[in-house]
Amino acid sequence: MLCLLLCTGCSVRRVVFNDVLTLEQVNFIRIGETTIHELVDRIGAPDDISESEFGVVALYNWSDTKSASLDFGAITRLFLPYSPSLTLRNTGITPEQLQVVFDPQWTVRAYGFSRRRTDEPIIWFWPF
Amino acid sequence: MIFFKLLGALTVVMMLAFAQGCVVARGTIGEPLQEDAVSAIKKGTTTMTEVISLVGAPDRIVRGNDREIFHYYYYDGKSPGVLLLLLNWMRMDIKSDNLYVFFNRNGIAEEVVYGKRTGRTQFRLWPFGD
Repeated sequence: MLCLLLCTGCSVRRVVFNDVLTLEQVNFIRIGETTIHELVDRIGAPDDISESEFGVVALYNWSDTKSASLDFGAITRLFLPYSPSLTLRNTGITPEQLQVVFDPQWTVRAYGFSRRRTDEPIIWFWPF
Repeated sequence: MIFFKLLGALTVVMMLAFAQGCVVARGTIGEPLQEDAVSAIKKGTTTMTEVISLVGAPDRIVRGNDREIFHYYYYDGKSPGVLLLLLNWMRMDIKSDNLYVFFNRNGIAEEVVYGKRTGRTQFRLWPFGD
């Protein structure tokens, strides 16, 4: 009962897009040696390919979006026909990217993560 | 006999009662890529026209390293949820398949890059953990 009361008005939503790529998963890459086929064999096909001044760039995208809210008015649904709403919500959208630049022979020229993963808690409704 | 019918009816009612607030959603973008069509693309022989007849028109055409690149993609998302009176939680799992066909200046397939992730998309309800 206490547990139910503590959870009252809680809402947790999570959207996970693609698998997370870590530095350990790509440390096999050797600049000037690793080909696009070796890369695809190990971590799959990129989500996007575009051209830059430095060569073709393969982009791997992933994200882990977390949203939590707490509605202080939810408990009144048990007693009142009308439930006022007082909700605190926090949503964290964290798109992350691995960028791999290829030379004209399709070997890796450079690579890097555009953002580092932050280990934010899944439940964090405080918006301030 | 009547006992079993009543038991069956009660079971159905109980299942419906427990399913209240359940949400199962699925969303896709594009068409799934056919593995046999992808494997039919042969490097050095298959032409651009043949690729289009095998896989269809590309979703995107990119230029890179002075080559035309056909990009085909497919996204699959699965989302179960529980929306109860006092609390609710929901999770969505989205993954993508991507196919790239690189053509040389003569319009012949030079490289084929294919990755399939959607086979690992799951209906996962619990929002915590990996």
